Amino acid sequence: MSAGDFYYAINATFRFVHDTYGKEALVDYWTSMAHGYHADVAARFRAGGLDEAQRYWADYFAHEPGGDVRVDLTERGVEIDVRDCPAIRWLKAGGREIVPYYCEHCHYVSTAIADQAGMRFALAGGGGTCHQLFSRGGGEA
Amino acid sequence: MIGVQDFIGYYDWTFEYLRRNFGEQAVRDYWVRAISLDSQTHARELIVGKGFDGMYEYWAHTLAMEEAGYTFDRGDDYFRIDMVDCPSKGHLIQRGLAAYHDYCEHCIGWIKPLMDDAGFVINHEHNHAGQCWWEMRRAGDRLTAPPPNRGPNDVRNLPGWRQAQHDVFLNSERLEDDADDAGAAHPGGRA
Repeated sequence: MSAGDFYYAINATFRFVHDTYGKEALVDYWTSMAHGYHADVAARFRAGGLDEAQRYWADYFAHEPGGDVRVDLTERGVEIDVRDCPAIRWLKAGGREIVPYYCEHCHYVSTAIADQAGMRFALAGGGGTCHQLFSRGGGEA
Repeated sequence: MIGVQDFIGYYDWTFEYLRRNFGEQAVRDYWVRAISLDSQTHARELIVGKGFDGMYEYWAHTLAMEEAGYTFDRGDDYFRIDMVDCPSKGHLIQRGLAAYHDYCEHCIGWIKPLMDDAGFVINHEHNHAGQCWWEMRRAGDRLTAPPPNRGPNDVRNLPGWRQAQHDVFLNSERLEDDADDAGAAHPGGRA
């Protein structure tokens, strides 16, 4: 089980970067993280394709504390159906003020990972429920 | 999604991102504003409100959640943690991650401001290998040297304790000298 209280630090980090350096800096932080820290994830996706992306995300969400997320490989790509986001659930349960741009990190980080892997990423929704799509050819989430 | 299972990895990465883009002071500011005053408000509430009891309550919860290897010790005038297997530093060591030049510094970075506000001082030493000890005492209860050996659970008794670089803090201030030098010269001293 992962330590869910770390979601508090993630939320606070976004707020710190945003309030101190501005929104552009926060977007740079997210995309830099995807190109730096997550470079090995992108390499795995590039090498293993959508199968590997499906395995990665299914395993990833299985190891987050709580939430309800389904990860399927369909004809459209890897569809991540976030029915109950573990991060938003934990932050709400802890009574934390969630930064209004919290959910944007998924868009920026995953888009940058997909770009490196030769894939496309799309996301629709937010606030605890969303639908995400990693694909080869693009398409709406 | 940025989740919590590999949080330690990008926590370390974040320190280096801030240092590289905004300077070392930005990292210090981050530990105070984002971690001590924002993320860890639950720790602050417990420790400011309940003192030693709050420290026990907070760290019993969080170290169990992080599956750390540790012991607690309570005296009339101190609360102590001996960390034999830091899950945070251990995660980085196991994966060969070291983006920032001094990951361990983040603990003092967020805990000291909290203890300042709660009316406690920190006596602490870490060996950058996942082992450390902490003794929090009331602000007026100052030591002149690291505390005496606390028995079988004292992390300083471990065979692997003396390795790499050691950082030592007395009364919430960093000692420039090596811990052995300070401890050997004035073991268990109090001001």
